[in-house]
Amino acid sequence: MKTINKMINLRLLALLFAGLLVISCDDDDDAAPEEENEIEVITNVNLIFTNTADASDVVIASAVDPDGAGIMELEVLNAINLSVDTEYMLTYDVLNALDPDDIEDIAEEIEEEDNEHQLFYSFTNNVFANPMGDGNIDNSSDAVVYNDQDENGNNVGLITTWMTSSTPPFTGSFTTRLQHQPDLKSATTGANDGDTDFELTFVLNVN
Amino acid sequence: MSLFAQTKPCTCCVKGKVLDTDSKAPIPFATVNVDGSEKYVQTDENGNFLIEGICPETYTLIISCLGYSNLTDEHAHEDDTHPHFYLTQEITGLSEVTIRAEIAKERGTETISQTTLSREDIKSVPTQSLAASLSKIEGVTFSSAGTNVQLPVIQGLSGNRILVLNNGLKHAFQNWGNEHAPEIDINAANKVTVIKGASGVRFGPEALSGVVIVEPNPLLLDNPLYATLGSSFQTNGRGINTNLEIGKGTEKWSYFFNGSYTRIGDRSAPDYNLTNTGKSETAFSLGALHHVNNWDFKIYYSFIDQNLGLLRSSVANSPDLFISSINSDRPIIVDPFSYNIDQPNQKTNHQLAKAEVDWFYAEDAKLNLRGGIQINKRDEFDVRRNEEIPIIDLDLITYDYQLEWEHPEWSDLDGVIGVQYFSQNNDNNPGTQTTPFIPNYNTERYSLFAIEKKKLGQNTLEAGIRFDIESNDVRGRETNQDIFRDNYTFSNLTASLGYSWKISDRSKFKTNIGSAFRTPNVAELFSFGQQGFRSTFGLLRFSDNNGVLSTSEVIPLDESDVDLERGYKLTNEYRVDTDTDSHVITTYGHYIENFVFDRPLGVFGTIRGPQPAFIIDQADALFLGLDYTWRKEVTDKVRTTYGLSYLWSRNIGENEPLIDQPPIVTNLQLQWDQGKLWLFESSKWSIKPSYTFRQFQAPRTVTPESLVDGSEVVTVDSEIFDFADAPEGYFLLDVAWNFKWKNINGNLTAQNVLNTSYRNYLNELRYFADEPGINVLLALNYQF
Repeated sequence: MKTINKMINLRLLALLFAGLLVISCDDDDDAAPEEENEIEVITNVNLIFTNTADASDVVIASAVDPDGAGIMELEVLNAINLSVDTEYMLTYDVLNALDPDDIEDIAEEIEEEDNEHQLFYSFTNNVFANPMGDGNIDNSSDAVVYNDQDENGNNVGLITTWMTSSTPPFTGSFTTRLQHQPDLKSATTGANDGDTDFELTFVLNVN
Repeated sequence: MSLFAQTKPCTCCVKGKVLDTDSKAPIPFATVNVDGSEKYVQTDENGNFLIEGICPETYTLIISCLGYSNLTDEHAHEDDTHPHFYLTQEITGLSEVTIRAEIAKERGTETISQTTLSREDIKSVPTQSLAASLSKIEGVTFSSAGTNVQLPVIQGLSGNRILVLNNGLKHAFQNWGNEHAPEIDINAANKVTVIKGASGVRFGPEALSGVVIVEPNPLLLDNPLYATLGSSFQTNGRGINTNLEIGKGTEKWSYFFNGSYTRIGDRSAPDYNLTNTGKSETAFSLGALHHVNNWDFKIYYSFIDQNLGLLRSSVANSPDLFISSINSDRPIIVDPFSYNIDQPNQKTNHQLAKAEVDWFYAEDAKLNLRGGIQINKRDEFDVRRNEEIPIIDLDLITYDYQLEWEHPEWSDLDGVIGVQYFSQNNDNNPGTQTTPFIPNYNTERYSLFAIEKKKLGQNTLEAGIRFDIESNDVRGRETNQDIFRDNYTFSNLTASLGYSWKISDRSKFKTNIGSAFRTPNVAELFSFGQQGFRSTFGLLRFSDNNGVLSTSEVIPLDESDVDLERGYKLTNEYRVDTDTDSHVITTYGHYIENFVFDRPLGVFGTIRGPQPAFIIDQADALFLGLDYTWRKEVTDKVRTTYGLSYLWSRNIGENEPLIDQPPIVTNLQLQWDQGKLWLFESSKWSIKPSYTFRQFQAPRTVTPESLVDGSEVVTVDSEIFDFADAPEGYFLLDVAWNFKWKNINGNLTAQNVLNTSYRNYLNELRYFADEPGINVLLALNYQF
């Protein structure tokens, strides 16, 4: 009787072994993680100032953080050099160029979600004739000339116009901040609502 | 019934023999009672008794028999012994003998300082984390990322140097950083033991500094049907917990089922609400034992699902705000109380299945085979443009097989020899739309160990050796989405030697020296990217070329200067027991060559603004410490316990302070066993003041704004610094009342009674918010 029991037990033991081995057979794969489309990362921002009277007069100022989430420092490549008493239209290139073979246009995504995004500006007081003042980062009701609105009629800021002052020369600064305001954005939300997607400060020269 | 069924599976049941002092004749039908419980047994015709089913740390047996007198000697109950208790004849009256019994210890740890928490200890606050419930032990604290994510710290070390052994298997989870805590439901634990010393030989190189052993229901045989229903409510976070355990043991079978549910809303600090710190947790486990002759078959399954909120203000909505948050007394975002758990949060699911066979093939020998599978799924959500998409989405599957042989005595050598196979497969699920923080990897480890102990009179000599071969196959993505691969194999030798010396009946000295060599784990090597308020770069993820830092390329391990972490730990415990006092002093020295830790690197510019960065680094570190517990029976109703934990640590390679080391903690507990109170059959009070000192060994402070404006310049080689000063010391007061009424056992606990505002140096969120304020918790357990 005892031997029979022992045999049954040995069989049970063998079964347990076998069961566990079978389960563990399928764990050797050597796949790398799938390529991820870095939608959050912005590596390049170009500010494109186009003279509204002369489309060939284009001033571009750029900031680059070539490794995104990596440790390399953000570089503001150049100053914004504008002419006095001139009206410019400001538009953007916003890119993720982490993978040079697959450059993502983030501006497109911002446009698609324009009811969640707004650009805010701050600049040296009265460097522009229009808008006057120092911009709407400190106070969202301050003047900035927005030329684009979302479906709710709220400002977006991917297209803005800027009339430089006629009293030259002038050196100051120009800051642009993109805020992401999901379920928040309204006519009164400001630069401190939501999350910052980018915030860049350039040297501004008006000659 | 065979002897084996009696001694196993509950390793800490008590058996003994009651004898007449003079005649040495056995005393039949004496009553043996475990003090404070309903467990009574009677000795048989030969004076033998056996009590099963209650496994607290130490307990008192009351043996009474009509006609015998008091006997006040305390007897130690050693593993595998069968103590004899002598009662002296008396003319009349009931008398008692009190013995203190110690639980059986895991093989290979008998010469190491250790403490066990009983089910009652754990269940008094059923809503807290495993780490928080352990922190009442001297030398044990926790590091955390808020109230929901807490990891045990033993004598200054945490993470991959503390092994959490859940149900005999290494708890396999995403064990990196302060942001990941072991997913363990304390309500399913029957007891938890903390081993404060190098236990690498028995459990693997991760047990360099200590082990937390979580044991579930012991599956006792011959145990009538039992059921316990517990429920509790706490004021801070308006939390509820409910748990149920049922089980039964027959002559050949035993089974149990255990389930628990916890829901807590936003916690609150004395001055503000801690927005998004809610938690929900669902857990259940079940197990069965079948006993046939000298075989025990066990199966066990556990499931836990958690959704853990992290303080909303720990993620600055612009990196600029990190600077203002760190300088602000209040978190930037404070919303009214809510049960909602929004981003940032963690959703985790952990399942464990285990099968185990014990074969007690001879009286003093057994074979044990264990196999287990653990599936750990983790989704983490961050505040970002696509916050509904997890930023971290990992599946970790772990297989564990262990075969252990507790061999019969060979010329007085008693020991265990084992082989283990351990494998892990970690996979990123696609779609996070960010470069994976942790790569995909496969780990395989083969281990062989032997531990032997020799009794030398009353003393014990214990020695062990272990050999591991671990190979890793790692695949990940660089920032430009290029694939990187690495393959590496290490073999590690771990050894330990200990001696337990019984100086007299009342004093005992234990000493143990152990070494453990550990391969830095995949997270320490390959972490990359942003998590919460910070970016972290692993050892192989950054390079420094004449001051130019780059994280674009991953360095192959064999081309790097990364080396094994080599730890050597000496632990001594001296214990003196007198009639009313007991002193336990533990001292330790721990030297770790190539100690792996993370620390602030600086603040670097991104398109979003300045971002704080941390790196994983290696240093030669020394830890010296002392834990002291003094227990005094003031009267037979009043007991005081004084505790002190002191740790000195330093990066001796660079002669500078380390970061994130526990400060000095001291506490006093006063317990009063009132006995009957009004309708309550039992009423016990406890008051516990404690003081935590400011960490005076904190590194220098370099503020983020001074790094941004360039007034401070740091490099990889600069002295270790922190972004903020270590918080001030603080005084806390906890009060508890335990009562019994019929079948109900209740605990009314008040934590932080004085509603003190304080910050905890070991909480990563100390940069942003205070710790929770007063919390009153009522826990009721109903026994059917």
